[in-house]
Amino acid sequence: MATAISIKNLYKKYGPRYVLEDLSFDVEKGSIYGFLGQNGAGKTTTIKILSGLSIPNGGQILIDNMDLSLEADKIKNILGLVPQDSEFYDERTALSQMNYFARLKGLSKDEGQEQSMLLLERVGLENEMTKKVGSFSHGMKKRLSIAQALLNDPKILILDEPTNGLDPVGVRQVKQIIRDCNDNGITIFASSHNLLEIQEICTHIGILKNGRLITEGTIGDIRRLESNGVITVGIYNMSPEIVSLVEGVEYVVKTELKEKNILEIYVNSKTDVKPELNKLIVNNGGQVFKLIENSLSLEDAYLSATEMKE
Amino acid sequence: MNISKIRIVAQDEILRGVKSRHVWFFSSALAFICILAMHYSTSLAFLFSDPGNIPFTYISFMIILIIGPFFILVTAFDSISNEVENGTVRYIISKIDRASFVLGKFCFLFIIFAFLTFIVAIVGQVDNFTSGNVFDLQKMIFFWLFSSLYLGCFISIFTFVSILSGNNKIAFTMSAVLLGITIYFFMQGGIEYLRYLTPPYYAFAVSETMKNLPGENDYFNIIKNLFSMLVFIIATLSIDVLVFKRRDL
Repeated sequence: MATAISIKNLYKKYGPRYVLEDLSFDVEKGSIYGFLGQNGAGKTTTIKILSGLSIPNGGQILIDNMDLSLEADKIKNILGLVPQDSEFYDERTALSQMNYFARLKGLSKDEGQEQSMLLLERVGLENEMTKKVGSFSHGMKKRLSIAQALLNDPKILILDEPTNGLDPVGVRQVKQIIRDCNDNGITIFASSHNLLEIQEICTHIGILKNGRLITEGTIGDIRRLESNGVITVGIYNMSPEIVSLVEGVEYVVKTELKEKNILEIYVNSKTDVKPELNKLIVNNGGQVFKLIENSLSLEDAYLSATEMKE
Repeated sequence: MNISKIRIVAQDEILRGVKSRHVWFFSSALAFICILAMHYSTSLAFLFSDPGNIPFTYISFMIILIIGPFFILVTAFDSISNEVENGTVRYIISKIDRASFVLGKFCFLFIIFAFLTFIVAIVGQVDNFTSGNVFDLQKMIFFWLFSSLYLGCFISIFTFVSILSGNNKIAFTMSAVLLGITIYFFMQGGIEYLRYLTPPYYAFAVSETMKNLPGENDYFNIIKNLFSMLVFIIATLSIDVLVFKRRDL
């Protein structure tokens, strides 16, 4: 799969403290990559570096196979940024600011005007075009911020906490816009500490902690990954021998006998271990009548992953 | 650096920018003071050695030399820091290179002040002409070049301070302190090398030319000082761009 963003061994420090340390990951083209982490984990710093607002202390960034340190100008043409704080020139109208940004993006005056109006309509601000941005609500500013990022049809859209501070209606609108953009082929890279929104809209996620990527993959992978998942096994002829046999398996953290013939097995494994456990029990004379994996929520997986990397 | 992006930034700032009205107001006020001083100078004709030949250009040149930097201070101190403080710089820097942004901001201020000093230069010569003297095109051009380059030096200095500052309050304080230091350096007659770092040194060196028609020996002095100020601006702007390129926004 082709990569839209490739980060290799990225370092960034403020004073003596490293906020990003040996950060490496890839974002597939056409995916919605959720960049998850607690406050202060280094999400905004990564986004600032990706969009040319901050200078890294080491590492390499390839965007659409172009090196950010060598071809920053070309990269800026294919990148759209939605910063965390959507502050604009309060005294100017939404359309006037869009026209200005459009010209900076390399569009002619007429093209800029046309595209600005279309994008403002797309984000639901068609009736607010000639109003001063100072009178806009937080949600409207956020939508304007997304509109300016979509000028000149970017290939990659980078959003820093896109739903932060929005009411439920605003959150739904922004998520829908992100989905629409992705449907149109735009790769999305969105940071957030809101697990629910990540779970809903992202195809891939990476979890950042103290400047390091502690885990990444698809939503399903993450749930399995690092999770102390629980597998419930029903065995007709449950015996202490079978329990001790299961406890002896490398990835089994602990077992709990819930009823006479129901065993809960806590596992720590990145792969699906159900077939292997089933085979082990059956080969040792166990008569299995039930084998269920209790899927963890992403929140559980996230908390599990971050706690385990303490 | 992209010339068309510099033009877009400067053009937008001049016509629609949030600081546009503020800058137009202060630059017009400076021009108005110069014109006012020239107008009332006829009442003070007795102060000059040749009352029939009032040096209108000289009067306005001295006003620009003395109070011009203060007008630049109040208009340029937040040219970059305001965008950084408000966060609007992120939208711009994610679209264009940093050098174009800094140079666009410089051009915005420089063009407005250069335009208004040009108006002052014309008014000065018209006053000169209506007082019965010749319309001296050469002096008009020298006045315009020196005034605008002199103010350009200060714009580049305060842009540098604005780049270094995290917010507008720090930017204003640092700019005021730097202006004080510049004046101090200029006044230090004994420490000549420090004077070379100050724009007034080059401008005052040609102030006598604004009184009378330049003699043959004056041309070398004029060219030398014009060139020095141009180099000063280019050097300061280069530092501005280098520093801004290393800044986290």
